[in-house]
Amino acid sequence: MSDTDINVEDIDAAGADAAVAVADATTDHAEDHGHDDHGHEEHYTSLGLSNMKLAMWLFLGSECLLFGALISAYLLSKTRFIIELVAGNPNVLAGIRDGENESLVQEMIAEASVEPIFDIPFTSLSSFILLMSSLTMVLAHKSVSEGNYKNLRIWLATTMLLGATFMAGQVYEFTTFYREGLTYNGTVFGTAFYTLTGFHGAHVTGGLIMLGSLLFLSTRNKMQKDRAETVELVGLYWHFVDIVWVLIFTIVYLIP
Amino acid sequence: MATTASDHGHDVAHDDHEHHPTAKTYWITFVLLAILTAVEVAWSYLGLSGPALVVPLILMMVVKFLIVGGVFMHLQTDLKVLNGYWFTLTFGTAVVLAVCVYIIVFAAFRWDI
Repeated sequence: MSDTDINVEDIDAAGADAAVAVADATTDHAEDHGHDDHGHEEHYTSLGLSNMKLAMWLFLGSECLLFGALISAYLLSKTRFIIELVAGNPNVLAGIRDGENESLVQEMIAEASVEPIFDIPFTSLSSFILLMSSLTMVLAHKSVSEGNYKNLRIWLATTMLLGATFMAGQVYEFTTFYREGLTYNGTVFGTAFYTLTGFHGAHVTGGLIMLGSLLFLSTRNKMQKDRAETVELVGLYWHFVDIVWVLIFTIVYLIP
Repeated sequence: MATTASDHGHDVAHDDHEHHPTAKTYWITFVLLAILTAVEVAWSYLGLSGPALVVPLILMMVVKFLIVGGVFMHLQTDLKVLNGYWFTLTFGTAVVLAVCVYIIVFAAFRWDI
């Protein structure tokens, strides 16, 4: 037999060796990361992040666009609201559109004394509570990473409590504003304000549901150290909601 | 044996988890955020108007934004594991582009109803 002849037995043997090598590599891979006994191995992208984490970041990126649009709409509606408030009639708006009376209207806006409807001390307290919930959330992640499941449950429950307190504050605030005359469809400002803060509130509520699920799983010992990334992902969402409130608090409440 | 991108991802990601901030760092970060919030509120009560009021408030807001993103969301450590110069360049360019688009839209916007 010449050197160039193909031996079928050699090919079979080589194929079997390759299959064994692949199987060994797969086993090593699973053992290296300690996920073989739980059946939810993490898959990492070439960026060095797991697919789940990358997906969460992409989702948060799309959320940035949503809240960017809502904040923009609020700012633009606020300008129009102030113009309408001080001008009192649509003719002035027409004047602005035509490039007339703009300086006059700007002067009126600057001199206008609009009674603020926002209760800054109350909202500051709400902001502080939400910031604190970010701390407890990250401590929950720290606890599960270290295998301290009792602390995990304590911090998750604390985060939920703080988040629920924030939501209670928002409900109280909305009720107060409504009674004072700021309705959803009364002015474009009201629509933009309630839409922006309402969407944020809905996100906080969604976060509370996620936290409740984590707490439930943890009480049934299904949230172990090897699933720390799940807690981290919920944490990312929760911190994002906090970040959005940082923007809303300054842009909506503090800047008159 | 050649190291694949996937292997690299595993190594870096797991090293990264070990380099997340300590609990002490988280507490210090929280205190810093609380102080910044207090300063923000106090600043809004100073009776200032125009840029003297708005610019410091926006700056403090951005600092809080970066602190929460960097420390609590682990971007400070996670961005280091993102593999490659081109990804960072693309991501950075997209952020700058988005900010520019927002500024241009705001500058050009007029109510026309």
